[in-house]
Amino acid sequence: MPLVAAFALPHTPQLLVRPPTEDRALVLRVHTAYAEVKRRLAAARPEVVAIVAGDHIEGFFLDAVPALAVFVGARAAGEFGRYHYAFDVHEALARAIVEQGIEAGFDLTYSQDVPLDYAFYVPLHFTMPEPRVPIVPLYVNVYLPPQPTPRRCYAWGQALRRILDVRPERVAVIASGGLSHFPGTDRYGSPDYDFDRALLASLAEGRGAETARLTGEELDKAGNVELRTWITLLGALGDERAEVLCYEPSWHHGNAVVAWPV
Amino acid sequence: MEPHYFFPPAAAYPLNRFLFALKSDTAVRECYVADPEGTMREHGLDDQARAALAAADRDRLVALGAHPYLVFMAQVRLSMTREPGTFEYF
Repeated sequence: MPLVAAFALPHTPQLLVRPPTEDRALVLRVHTAYAEVKRRLAAARPEVVAIVAGDHIEGFFLDAVPALAVFVGARAAGEFGRYHYAFDVHEALARAIVEQGIEAGFDLTYSQDVPLDYAFYVPLHFTMPEPRVPIVPLYVNVYLPPQPTPRRCYAWGQALRRILDVRPERVAVIASGGLSHFPGTDRYGSPDYDFDRALLASLAEGRGAETARLTGEELDKAGNVELRTWITLLGALGDERAEVLCYEPSWHHGNAVVAWPV
Repeated sequence: MEPHYFFPPAAAYPLNRFLFALKSDTAVRECYVADPEGTMREHGLDDQARAALAAADRDRLVALGAHPYLVFMAQVRLSMTREPGTFEYF
């Protein structure tokens, strides 16, 4: 079945747990965009939400670093401060993605027991419709080099789409991440918002395939290592024109909420 | 130029392992808040790493091979533990 909805969403932890350093009005504007996504997601009546996120060295540490991974357990759970969360996983779809992904030439890692970090939780907290539907967590390594290339992420998204198109479930896909930010570095206070604006303009023109030609070095320089999750989604979408629901650059993070017609 | 998120040097593994625990393991974080020096020694951090972490000196930690994201999130989680009342929860 074709996809029923597609979004790219930020997961900035300060949107969930706001310290006094964050502009409250900005946070609430992003929440308004999340609410619009939640409304559209509910209207799309998905049976599964497949969510592509970059692990924040939470599920996977330096003992094993998968480039691309799929959670194939019964339930995915994690915690962030006072939030303790768990989501049912659509095991049949997760398993089909692993089996058919490997058959298609992607050497995927899978796990039945890996914590779900806030990169998954923050967007789901704000946009999961009621009643909840099961999820399929899809991991892309974004923080531990060498990360998968944008070209590879795009190809994986294309393969994912071919798998999903012939499944019986109604699937919505969310990419979680971005845009420009540099946590833990001396660039934390000076993200590359020009890069973000140019990117959003090109996505609005339906030029998503161009992201496959970015290099890892360009992503790192622009504070957009997490764009790999968007690029994976773009591989699944091709050149659909994006609708930018909000772009809210804070003092350290370009928060973008984007929807695609599918 | 070295990327912002560089390949973690093997020599920094104990430091990165500890930062990972500090951000992800509530028990370790609570031990650290109660007794930073003792907890760092228990986890095998050397003198340089202990001094840099005790001073919350991001640049020194990163220069020692700490992963910048781990430094960042360890500090976020520590402040959430130390000052939970200063945050707004949605």
